[in-house]
Amino acid sequence: MNRTTGPPVAERDTGAEKRDGPLTQIAGSPILRLIARRLMIVVPLLFVVSALVFLLMEALPGDPARIQAGMDASEEQVEAVRTQMGLDRPGYVRYLSWLGGALSGDLGHSIISDREVTTLLGERLPVTLQMAGMAFVLSIVIALPLALAAARRPGGLVDRVVMFCSMTLLAVPNFVMALLLVLVFAVTLGMLPAIGYVPLSGGLWPNMRSMILPVLSLAVPMACFYARFLRGDLVEQLNAAAYIDTARSKGAGRWRILWLHAFRNSSFGLLTLIGLNIGALVGGTVIIERIFAMPGMGTLMLEGVMSSDVAVVQTCVFIFAATAVFANLFVDVMYAVLDPRVRYGSH
Amino acid sequence: MRTNGKGHRIRQLLRLGALVTGVALMATACGANGSGSGDAGEANDPPSGEAQSGGEITVILDSGFAGDWSTGLDSSTSNGVGANLPQNSSIYGGLFTLEADPDGSNAQLVPNQAESYEWSEDGLTLTITLREGIEFSDGTPLNAEAVVWSWIRSLSSGSTSAPTINLDLDRETPDLDQEFIDSVFDALPADVDEDLIMARLGAIQAVDDLTVEMYLSVPNGSLVNGLPAGNLNLIGSPTAYAEMGAEAFSTTPVGAGPFVVTSNTQNQRLELERNENYFKDGLPYLDAITFQSVAGDQVAYQTVQAGQGDVIEGLSDINLIEEADNNPNLEMHLGAPTSPYVVQLNTRNGPFEDKRAREAIYYATDFESINQGLFGGAGEMSQSFTASGGLFHHPEVPGYREYDPERAAEIVDELGGLHVDLMTTDLSTARRVMTALQTQWQEAGIVVDIHSYPLGDIITKFQAGEWEAILQTAGAWDPSVGIGVAVRFGSTSPFSGTPLPEGAESAQQAIDEGLQTELDVLLEAAVLTVDEAEREEHYRAISQYISDEAYGPFGMAFSPAQVMRQGIHGPGLDEPIPALAVNQGVLYDRVWVEQP
Repeated sequence: MNRTTGPPVAERDTGAEKRDGPLTQIAGSPILRLIARRLMIVVPLLFVVSALVFLLMEALPGDPARIQAGMDASEEQVEAVRTQMGLDRPGYVRYLSWLGGALSGDLGHSIISDREVTTLLGERLPVTLQMAGMAFVLSIVIALPLALAAARRPGGLVDRVVMFCSMTLLAVPNFVMALLLVLVFAVTLGMLPAIGYVPLSGGLWPNMRSMILPVLSLAVPMACFYARFLRGDLVEQLNAAAYIDTARSKGAGRWRILWLHAFRNSSFGLLTLIGLNIGALVGGTVIIERIFAMPGMGTLMLEGVMSSDVAVVQTCVFIFAATAVFANLFVDVMYAVLDPRVRYGSH
Repeated sequence: MRTNGKGHRIRQLLRLGALVTGVALMATACGANGSGSGDAGEANDPPSGEAQSGGEITVILDSGFAGDWSTGLDSSTSNGVGANLPQNSSIYGGLFTLEADPDGSNAQLVPNQAESYEWSEDGLTLTITLREGIEFSDGTPLNAEAVVWSWIRSLSSGSTSAPTINLDLDRETPDLDQEFIDSVFDALPADVDEDLIMARLGAIQAVDDLTVEMYLSVPNGSLVNGLPAGNLNLIGSPTAYAEMGAEAFSTTPVGAGPFVVTSNTQNQRLELERNENYFKDGLPYLDAITFQSVAGDQVAYQTVQAGQGDVIEGLSDINLIEEADNNPNLEMHLGAPTSPYVVQLNTRNGPFEDKRAREAIYYATDFESINQGLFGGAGEMSQSFTASGGLFHHPEVPGYREYDPERAAEIVDELGGLHVDLMTTDLSTARRVMTALQTQWQEAGIVVDIHSYPLGDIITKFQAGEWEAILQTAGAWDPSVGIGVAVRFGSTSPFSGTPLPEGAESAQQAIDEGLQTELDVLLEAAVLTVDEAEREEHYRAISQYISDEAYGPFGMAFSPAQVMRQGIHGPGLDEPIPALAVNQGVLYDRVWVEQP
């Protein structure tokens, strides 16, 4: 899957793109065929994911009704809770019922709060999307200049500082990063809130303030990862690729070579990494939301797991999985946009 | 000043460093309900000065316990009434409250929205008289009819917060207004047993506008003492329910408590404002109160340090309690102790079928040294299921097997060795106590494997009978309420390891065939009377029985701590109140903040 090797795009960019640009090609049949092929895999994949989640939830130890009822509940009360939760029906009936509903847009009810899952999602999804989206953008914004600056003079001071800092920060799990950030910026300096979410309706700045630490907690480790990877790829391109020598021989400056030539090819590797990382990013929100008391999907899913709220967990995992799958599909489409070999059938 | 500032900053940074070392332990420690903890420090003195009106506070709650209100805040349908006491007492107030002297002693049930209660001579009729003129925050009256409506819902909606009551269902249902009957049924699940509801309406009656009577088939000594911890204490507005519907009422319930709900994000944040219609003149003192749920003690403590919270209810991490006690910006107060640690032993299989193995555990266990070593001696030692903050406290039991490692080693030799699986709930304090026990028992030649599990897994292991020994806490203010003595030691409880009655292969068979052990009879007798002196005698006998049969050694009793920033006062915060269930109650209508 390493698509960073092979003839550089810059050397081959004389054919298809010049006849009709990449964006025009999206509407053309090769990319649509690619998307169609992928969707044929995605749909059954998501079905398998939902079935697996259901089986896993069923296999979890513990009687959800007993857990929900509490230790001092009588057997009668536990049975009443079991009926109330719908757990007196066979597992496959419950799954098929959920699946049938989901296909028609009804994601079912939370067995704990008795609220519609779609309503819960409506409340929680925007928080997670905003947080993950901002973290994603920020990680790229941090990683790109760092990688370019480091790759410009491999072994130089900037490179060594970037590599050392990124390695150090990479070793810190994001929940530890979160608590450190809280200790520094909320507890010690008192600059930012330690917990809580302010919706956009509460004002742009309050919303941003509530987002800064969670987003940083997610973005910094990811940015370090991207920066290290991209820097390595850039250095490899700079050292080994013939087209770089060509560009140099034409008198192109170091930054121009880095940005216009080496980076374009290295972006394939970065894209792959981003695609793979989207799942980790969304997964990372579970812990981060918990630490910062953010009312997002991660918190919802964790609460669902703790209380064996199958419909909630199933929907959350489904959405997380779908996000990862579609992110990878997007990456593949981007390959096709950037690389004619993909577009014209070698893929 | 400059030097002080620098020094303060350095101290903060050093503290930061110290806290970081504890961070790894935090991880996903989204604790389940606290099992009590202790502290090396002394509780601060009660406040001096007059209470002041005004101000608002944010209370931080653990998302694994009081900070989880996923089954909503409708008191009749919620399964978390006992855990959600902070929210419930703020919204609903309560017919009764548990109050104590400022030092936490002499706790007693005090009528609040009720004016009084009375048992009939035979202990079968409970009469509750309401205070006159109380209104819900929507302006409708909190009268006897509203109490009946609320109680019928609480007992009939499947809520596990409802107490088990043997109502006299043979009484004739009185003539009731059809509109009232409709309002009851409209507020119940569609598949409810209508005949049962009508029978219950015969057993719970509004005698007049301010008087409610409940008729029982057998006396129930735990009923009244259990009221403040259960949903019968919390009366919601029937009119508001009819207007709002089930879901909205569950999110923004209407009661007659000191505060009204203004915003509710489930399991995250609950914002309340002063109820201008509150029945007590001059109360509540606060203008507003917010409950914020956070993940575990570490985050709770940081939140307060960052100034985003004012009170932490039920902090149980020993290190953080100690740190809070040493923090000049914070106050820390332990609750009145009620729940000692106990090592429950499973007598139904494994090594503890043999009484000698149980005795070895008693002799090998030195809770006093654990108390000194881990808690600085702050815990109160007990040889039974309650401590000085609770009812029926008797710290010493005649013949109790005390620490004697040589005797323990002798028994282990006699048994040809002893291998024990010891487990506890996944809480830092409990884990530390468990590790200390492991060390002590190993010194007596006992091989010990230790495990800590989330509460759900503990419940599962109990149900499957797959456990040998578990470190837990036992009891509450009244040992018959909540996870009381019967839950831990009654033979038919799924959370007990005491022997099954003779002739019974399972707890269910014992229930079906009415089989009981001697201990079951004692436990039942302690509840089948409303006479306090009789109950006292029964519980003394129960302590003796558990000790004689060596069902589990008891240790130090702790309450989770209340931590708040300087200048916040109130009953349940800096004036301890014994815990009704796990955390002590706070009477938020009398919580006040020192104004500048």
